[in-house]
Amino acid sequence: MDDGERTAGGDGRPETAAVRVRGLWKQFGEQTAVAGIDLDLPAGRFIGLVGPNGAGKTTTLSMITGLLRPDSGLVEIGGRDVWRDPVGVKSRIGVLPEGLRLFERLTGRELLTYMGRLRGLPAAEVERRCDQLLDVLDLSAAQHKLVVDYSTGMRKKTGLAAALLHNPEVLFLDEPFEGVDPVSAQTIRGVLERYTSSGATVVFSSHVMELVESLCDWVAVLASGRIRAHGPLAEVRGAAPSLQSAFLELVGAQGNPAGQSLDWLGGPR
Amino acid sequence: MSAPGARQASGPPADPALPAGAPYGAGAAGDGRASAGAVTATFVRLKLSLLRNGLRQSTGRSAAFLGSVLVALLFGGLGLLGLVALRGHAYAEDVGIALVAVVALGWTFMPMFVGGGDETLDPGRLAMLPLPPRTLLGAELVASAVGTGALFTVLLVSGAAATAAHGPAGTALAVLAVPLVLLVCVTLSRALATANARLLTSRRGRDLAVFSGVVVAFGIQGVNLGLSSLSADESLAPVEPIADVLRWLPPATVIEAVRAAGEGRPGLCAAALAWTLLAWGLLFAWWRRTLTRLLTAPDSSTLQAAPEGAERRAGARGSALAALLPPGRTGIVMLRSLRYSWRDPKAKMGWVTSLGMGLLLPVVFAAQDSGSVYNSCWVSGLFGLLMYNQFGQDYSGFWLVSQTICTPRDALAELRGRALAIAVVSVPCTVVVVSLFCALSGAFGQLPDALGLALALQGAMFGVGAVTSARFPYSIPQDSPMKNVAPGQGATAWFTIVGGACSAAVVASPVIALTIWLNVSDAAAWPVLPVGLGYGLLAAWAGLRVAAPATARRLPEILTAVSRG
Repeated sequence: MDDGERTAGGDGRPETAAVRVRGLWKQFGEQTAVAGIDLDLPAGRFIGLVGPNGAGKTTTLSMITGLLRPDSGLVEIGGRDVWRDPVGVKSRIGVLPEGLRLFERLTGRELLTYMGRLRGLPAAEVERRCDQLLDVLDLSAAQHKLVVDYSTGMRKKTGLAAALLHNPEVLFLDEPFEGVDPVSAQTIRGVLERYTSSGATVVFSSHVMELVESLCDWVAVLASGRIRAHGPLAEVRGAAPSLQSAFLELVGAQGNPAGQSLDWLGGPR
Repeated sequence: MSAPGARQASGPPADPALPAGAPYGAGAAGDGRASAGAVTATFVRLKLSLLRNGLRQSTGRSAAFLGSVLVALLFGGLGLLGLVALRGHAYAEDVGIALVAVVALGWTFMPMFVGGGDETLDPGRLAMLPLPPRTLLGAELVASAVGTGALFTVLLVSGAAATAAHGPAGTALAVLAVPLVLLVCVTLSRALATANARLLTSRRGRDLAVFSGVVVAFGIQGVNLGLSSLSADESLAPVEPIADVLRWLPPATVIEAVRAAGEGRPGLCAAALAWTLLAWGLLFAWWRRTLTRLLTAPDSSTLQAAPEGAERRAGARGSALAALLPPGRTGIVMLRSLRYSWRDPKAKMGWVTSLGMGLLLPVVFAAQDSGSVYNSCWVSGLFGLLMYNQFGQDYSGFWLVSQTICTPRDALAELRGRALAIAVVSVPCTVVVVSLFCALSGAFGQLPDALGLALALQGAMFGVGAVTSARFPYSIPQDSPMKNVAPGQGATAWFTIVGGACSAAVVASPVIALTIWLNVSDAAAWPVLPVGLGYGLLAAWAGLRVAAPATARRLPEILTAVSRG
């Protein structure tokens, strides 16, 4: 296979796709969560997947990473089909989903050791990587506490460590900064920036535009299960003063209409 | 249990439970009576919506739910008809009383294990609503009387009342008896569930709650004992001494009251009724007290975490253990499973129930001097049950496992690790329990075939358990101590366990047949031991082999099923 070429950083060469999505579709009962997504995510970039709540970000990421079976469509990561070649795909991706648990009755260190060994890494190597990850993510002091006693920020950092442990080519993070305190957020950010600078690809979803604007060089805007815009940050932003206003325009959000609604709020009690 | 909740609850019981509701609740409290009805109606609608929404999520589940309604109707109906047919029989009332007591026992423990996926009874969800306790209690009572359990109870209790009713007074009281028994059962169930929730909201308390598993073990044991002595005697006479005790234990007292009314003994009837009402009143007061305390006490997230030293020591023990386990995925999965069997309260509960019952059984049976050594197979089956719904025990943490399973081979290693983690404990325990059983019942000569049969059955349970884990996974929600099954999945859970146990018996049938044949033909029965051991291993291995490709193929579906709730 031509992995080396595909994962090379985008310096001048035509961009290769780290992730290729075609006609991705998912329906829950009557509701269409993802309505036919076609998308090529370039390799070696820091990619933001943005959209309002309920836009289908989590569903899309779950289907891309093999956690949820799509109704139809194709997903390829590094040229490998996610559903037909799980061996090729699962060893090359790292995932941090939103809203799913970790093994909470293990300590942070035990969890990482467990994941590393399940990934087939030798024990000594797992030990070495755990030490470094725990240290860099500022988790060393809490490594012998059960995950059930961790704060949200510590959980996200532990999840990130588990996702990075096997040195994946593409990292998928669903709302990695949701509910995370500023100190932990800065730590996560530092690790991700270091990771992408080595040529790896990060795809993360968020609805915090300022964050996406400051971190990403490539964005895709998702609303009502469809891609509204995608491309390098500057292109998507266009003439708008910020990504936030470009986003609001793209998803067609209106300001609050003036009227009588909520006229009781703040009135006599 | 500890102080903060107790301190707050020590006020007069009439105080509203919810300080937060006071500023807004003032208006509503003015017409409290009118709103009580509205709240009750809302709760019933909520319960119906929960049942309906659970159904809407998958067709398989609606089939399972409809199935459970049918089973409740069928068995309840059969019970009703059987009891009516018994009318006039010497022990008819005694059977009715015993059955009502069994139903009450079911109400006591079932909601805490399977079928507790009822969010209307989770006080955690109601803490911020400005509802005075009385309104809340009434609404919860009515809401919990909606469901298949209540349907079954009504049918069976109607039967019991019908057998006991003679004459106009008895008949009139029998009509009253059905709702009264249901009321006591529902109150009992809610009171215990609420008390348990209080216990389960702290980390340390959750570990204590494991003891309720032992209580269940005793309960099921009692029923088992009763049934086996019935079948041994081939008449209903053994029910009488049991019923003599039970007839004074509410809610069975209601049936006693019906009987007394028919026999023209108003004093006895009144005493039985008064005792029932008093017991109900006490239960209700207890429930009200625990609920008030629960709603005003701090929640577990504010409690201090366990000291770090203990975890570090546990970690050190773990790595010593790791050295003994097989290399590769199997060993690492075993280590995690074993750690979970100790640290996770729900996993621990399963183990304590199986172990407690395993040790209890031989003693009880020997004391009763009844039953054959083959009864020790129950223990084997109980251990085998631990293999069921393996992935549901991971809850949504299963995604970590799913991310690392690429091939059926990985799935096989995963399942094998989990099966071995159980077997490491369950097989030696089975050997000990069966030996103890044979020794206590003085039938040591039967040890080889009893042990062979037990091991064959356990192997079959492991195999079938692995397959049902892959094919019919269901969620065991981790965040609520009140439920062990997500709403709408209860029926799936029951059918998996019951169907799985029956299938395992079918799988093990060649060994059962061999044992019977050898015993009947008066041949030496020792060959059952090697055959049973080999057969058990084969059945477990075959089950794992069948389950592995299914697991690897169905990873997203399993994740969706076990993440629910």
